[in-house]
Amino acid sequence: MLYLKLIKSGCFLPAVFLVVYSSSVNAVGLKTGVDDQAQLPFWETSTTGMSLRFVQRLPVQTRAYFMARGFKPEHAELIAQSCVFQTVFKNISHADKTTVPSKLEYNLLDWVVTSKGTKSRPKTRQDWAKEWQIAKVKKSAQIAFEWSLYPTRQEYKPSDYNWGMMIFNLKPGAIFDLEISWQQYGKVNKSTIKGIQCAPDINPQPKDTE
Amino acid sequence: MKTIVYLLIAVLSSVTMFTTASAERPLLPLVKKPYKAPDFELKDENDVVYRLSDFRGKVVVINFWATWCPPCRYEMPSLERLWNKVKDNNVILLAINVGEDADTIFGFTGELQLTMPIPMDVNGDVIKLYPVTGLPTTYIINREGLVTHRAMGSREWDSDSIVKKLLKMAEPPSKKSK
Repeated sequence: MLYLKLIKSGCFLPAVFLVVYSSSVNAVGLKTGVDDQAQLPFWETSTTGMSLRFVQRLPVQTRAYFMARGFKPEHAELIAQSCVFQTVFKNISHADKTTVPSKLEYNLLDWVVTSKGTKSRPKTRQDWAKEWQIAKVKKSAQIAFEWSLYPTRQEYKPSDYNWGMMIFNLKPGAIFDLEISWQQYGKVNKSTIKGIQCAPDINPQPKDTE
Repeated sequence: MKTIVYLLIAVLSSVTMFTTASAERPLLPLVKKPYKAPDFELKDENDVVYRLSDFRGKVVVINFWATWCPPCRYEMPSLERLWNKVKDNNVILLAINVGEDADTIFGFTGELQLTMPIPMDVNGDVIKLYPVTGLPTTYIINREGLVTHRAMGSREWDSDSIVKKLLKMAEPPSKKSK
């Protein structure tokens, strides 16, 4: 181990720096539960310098959202049936007092979705744009769609983040593993979130209250 | 024993170093190299025209947003407060809505009673001129018309540090040198 060599050679400060830094960067935390605002399940992974959260979106929400932005019912239905998650990806390296701020980069084309043994990747803005052009979806709806979807690739400076929809092109209720990768602190990092579930196609009613 | 003392000193030194560094961490990231801000001309709901080049000599804050974007909605009140703090000091704020019609926009801004300029990029042409990949994204353009900062995601725009930075950038050179 490099830090043992450093200690033996009398370089104590670099050795301790290396131990503290490596341990803090490598610890990836996963958590799941019910999102306070959406009242729907979420999956979140976080480690030093980054956090990434996926919150289910019900097909009924997605359907209504895109119809309100000019999509025809059949096109809104296509999106709604494709497993949509509200996504928040943050570079939080500025907020962590134990590490130096570092830029964060990702590319959705590098991410791997595994469901029932089949591998794929998230369906990106560019993938959809081709379909909308063929289907002659009106311009204003295409603009709303483009900016609603999570950017395909991005470079976040410390403190930057985005919200947006990520679409996994799976059926409602499908379960999948998602291997994510991102570059930060000068290396490629990978993590897998297991057992994410696409929202089922249900239409929940308000709970009875007394 | 000597080794333990060395290790303790090393740990304390590294903690102090990190803490000191974190105290000055910026929330407004600088662009790698300032570049000329692409010019544009947009109208608001009252047909008032906003042309970027008309604001040369002032600091311009350009915020791209939409009503359906949660962090955009979140930061609108702080942008309005920022506007009220800086508008008389050579700072312009343009909250450019992307891809929505006037009814949708002002259904939202009316609720918040926003007074800042809200030009409409109805066809998404202006946002394509800037390297924006997600909303909200905010650019700071200096008095010389160069993009100097870019922030992705919402911020507390009326925080002291941001207001001070903008006012400092807006000072004429003669005042800065005093």
